[in-house]
Amino acid sequence: MMKSIAFTLAMALTGGSAMAASAVNLDSETRTIVVTEGGNRQQIDIGPGETVDFCPSGCFVTLPNGDREALTGGETVEISGGAAKIK
Amino acid sequence: MPALDIMRPILTAKGCISQSISVKLRISLGRPTNRCKFHMSLVRKLIALSFVLVCLLAGGAFAQDPQDRQPLSGIAAEQQAAIERLSTQADRLEKDINTNSEDDVRLVEIRLALEDLQADVLKSGVAFRPTLTDINAKLEALGPAPKDGAPAETDEKATQRAALSKEKSQINQVIGQAEDLLVRVNGLVNKIAVIRRDLFANTLMKRYQLRSAIGPDVGEAVGDQVSMLSRNISAWFRFVVRFKLQAALVATFFASLVGVIFYVVGRRVIARLLRKDPTADPDYLSRLSAAFWSTLMPSIALLLFLTLTVALYQSYNVLRGDISDYFIGLLQIFFTCFFVNRLSNAILSPDAPNWRLVKIEAQPARVLIWLTTAAALVVGLDRFTGIVTESLGSPLSVTILKGLFAALLVGALLMAVGSVKPFASEDGVARPWPSWFRATVYVLGTATILSALTGYISLAQFVSRQVVVTGAWVATAYIGLLASRAISDEGAFGSTSAGRWIKQTYDTEDSKLDQLGVLASVLINLLIVFAFLPVILFQWGFQAGDMAVWMRRLGAGFQIGTFTFSPLAILTGIIVFGIGYSVTRWFQSWIDGTVMARGRVDIGVRNSIRTVVGYAGMAIATLIGISAAGLNLSSFALIAGGLSLGIGFGLQNIVSNFVSGLILLVERPFKVGDWVVAGDVSGTVRKISVRATEIETFQRQTVMLPNSQLINNAVGNWTHRNRLGRIEVPVGVIHGTDPEHVYRVLLELARGSQLILKNPEPFVLFTGFSETAMNFEIRVFLADISNGSSVQNELRFGIVRAFLREGIEIAHTPRPTSAPPSASWSLDDDKAEAQFVERIAKRADELVEEKRKPRRRKPDPA
Repeated sequence: MMKSIAFTLAMALTGGSAMAASAVNLDSETRTIVVTEGGNRQQIDIGPGETVDFCPSGCFVTLPNGDREALTGGETVEISGGAAKIK
Repeated sequence: MPALDIMRPILTAKGCISQSISVKLRISLGRPTNRCKFHMSLVRKLIALSFVLVCLLAGGAFAQDPQDRQPLSGIAAEQQAAIERLSTQADRLEKDINTNSEDDVRLVEIRLALEDLQADVLKSGVAFRPTLTDINAKLEALGPAPKDGAPAETDEKATQRAALSKEKSQINQVIGQAEDLLVRVNGLVNKIAVIRRDLFANTLMKRYQLRSAIGPDVGEAVGDQVSMLSRNISAWFRFVVRFKLQAALVATFFASLVGVIFYVVGRRVIARLLRKDPTADPDYLSRLSAAFWSTLMPSIALLLFLTLTVALYQSYNVLRGDISDYFIGLLQIFFTCFFVNRLSNAILSPDAPNWRLVKIEAQPARVLIWLTTAAALVVGLDRFTGIVTESLGSPLSVTILKGLFAALLVGALLMAVGSVKPFASEDGVARPWPSWFRATVYVLGTATILSALTGYISLAQFVSRQVVVTGAWVATAYIGLLASRAISDEGAFGSTSAGRWIKQTYDTEDSKLDQLGVLASVLINLLIVFAFLPVILFQWGFQAGDMAVWMRRLGAGFQIGTFTFSPLAILTGIIVFGIGYSVTRWFQSWIDGTVMARGRVDIGVRNSIRTVVGYAGMAIATLIGISAAGLNLSSFALIAGGLSLGIGFGLQNIVSNFVSGLILLVERPFKVGDWVVAGDVSGTVRKISVRATEIETFQRQTVMLPNSQLINNAVGNWTHRNRLGRIEVPVGVIHGTDPEHVYRVLLELARGSQLILKNPEPFVLFTGFSETAMNFEIRVFLADISNGSSVQNELRFGIVRAFLREGIEIAHTPRPTSAPPSASWSLDDDKAEAQFVERIAKRADELVEEKRKPRRRKPDPA
């Protein structure tokens, strides 16, 4: 009994505090975003349907269509048709 | 990769510029020796300039549409101005880093400023979000641009598209600038880290030439410095006497007043609290807490007094810059010595052997106190002379000499501490320290002396200061930790004065006190960590700014995989929950004790409302606490949905009990204090919780009955609407007694009792006949059924007395009289056979005799 409660709580905790931003690629081809976090720029390839977590505490990101965005962490970036929506 | 395609022209342009600049530099460095060369260089310069221009134009043309070069408008312009401002700040800070590369404190400050800058840069980037979302939505509404060969779109649409694209590219451009700035600021933060690391290593590992310090002129140099110092001080003194006499006197007066107040209060209050009774036999906890507080309280009092004194002198402008440093330095020495002395006295307690924390003989204890205080004095003096030599700008030789001297002294004192034989064996022979302690002290002492002798004076000073000051703080903290561990032992908290006070005031149970003890221990631990850790870190050369950075990191949380853990947020959540919980408790007792008690609300309703309010408040507090901790409530809903099937199966009993509990609270078939019978359990209801109900049987056994059982099965309640109830006392009298008489006697008896109700009146029932008795039953009603046993007792005693008086005999079943022992089979067969034959013969004679008797005739039935 206690185990199931503990499990539920643990799941809730892990599910609840994913503070990093995540990007999900809804397209059928691999998309690349450029993330500037801390002092480094890095390219992240996201395969079709894949979700990637990045940027726990604020970063700049260049999206596949050339748009630039600043993220504070906690956002979800949806890439579809090369363009991105931030939720 | 479209992203890179867009960035490439910009990068190309930048490369182009740098290339051209390097070309330009190379050209302008060339030396013009004659006119021709001068012309040539002019031509080259012109070519270079035009190349730069072409490059810039080309880069710009690749990067943006021609219209983008128009001035920025709207939010882009606004944020660009902000970013430029931030960039200027970054420039200034970078310059600061270069000028202050030797100043650790300033570097930490710059780092903090840079971190603020990072946040600002990010903020200005995020400011574009709403506009960008808006533009993207509009572009999406316009649909994709017509491809080559497709029919062209309307002019209006095309203009709108162009305007939107333009605005977007402007924004992109500004965000790009912000991004570059962020990278740059980050680089600066890393640079500071590297500079500080090198600074620390260089200062610590710097090697001095001892030969220069121990030269023949050093005596003269020292003499010079001493006379310079005395000149400084006397000049200041003359200045004070001439211009600031009144202010100095007032400041001194107030400082002394504060000192006297502190001393008197300390003597009266603190000393009485901390008095060590030499005849007492204190337990470990008392000894520990006495040591901890008798070190900490006077030290804090002294620290407050010294700080106040300095503040007073400074506010009256009595102290000049350098004199203020000397003054503070002197007070620091005083404080360090006092603290170390108090601490060693508290631990070793040479005059009160019962209070000693470490069982050391009295004489070595005194020696140790002297040695540690002397070490503190040396370290303090070293620091003070450091301040003096710095302010006088003394020659290096003097600095080296005093450092060497101090390090050697501390090293020697450490060795002396190690060589003390503090313990005594049973026959009185002195025994040394345990070998690990001796080894540590010897190693530290040798390291100090050796590093000083080989020229690493800073290292030696650092080690000796750490050993004395950090050692003292760590020892105090350790005593505190030990005390907190001892306080969490079973029954330990109850024996402390705080525990006794709580017990007297709130009449708390021992188990509660133990829990409080554990809580107190946790709190003391936290207090020690938060109070002592910064002090020790300061000793190690960390700056306040470092700690601010850590606190900020702690607040922002750190990441483990994709899980971000933020202690501060979780702490906030816990605190918010705690507040919510106490508000609930307060509201509960207010509504129960004030509102409902005044309103004469039925106790069952009160209990139900109290319980429901409690659970509702708890649920609300939990939810608020969780969201304050930064956890996402929607994910709870998701998980609850996902696991509902599992929960449905796994927790169905709990859920069923929970719902039953709610029904019990609403329906109220019984309340706390009722006498209920549920199945085999009969007893008083003690508590109705949401899962189970607590019933105390008359044997004082507590039974936790799941609520679903109380809802699904029949529950008898003796005291539901009222406490009225009937009891029966059966009694039997022997046949032949006058039943009317018995009836009267019993009725009279029942009417005579105080506890029995007159209405409905008592009743005696002649229940029937049995083989041995006529059975009666007294049936009486009681106002309070819980008096049943005592009334039954009273009636039974009364019956026995009355029957004795009236000569009525109580029926009893005749005891079965024991049958005569049947003849057992004899072992002697012959004799048994003879007896058997005899018995048969006798029986036959009797039969014959019987036949001879005349048979009586039966009467005629007619």
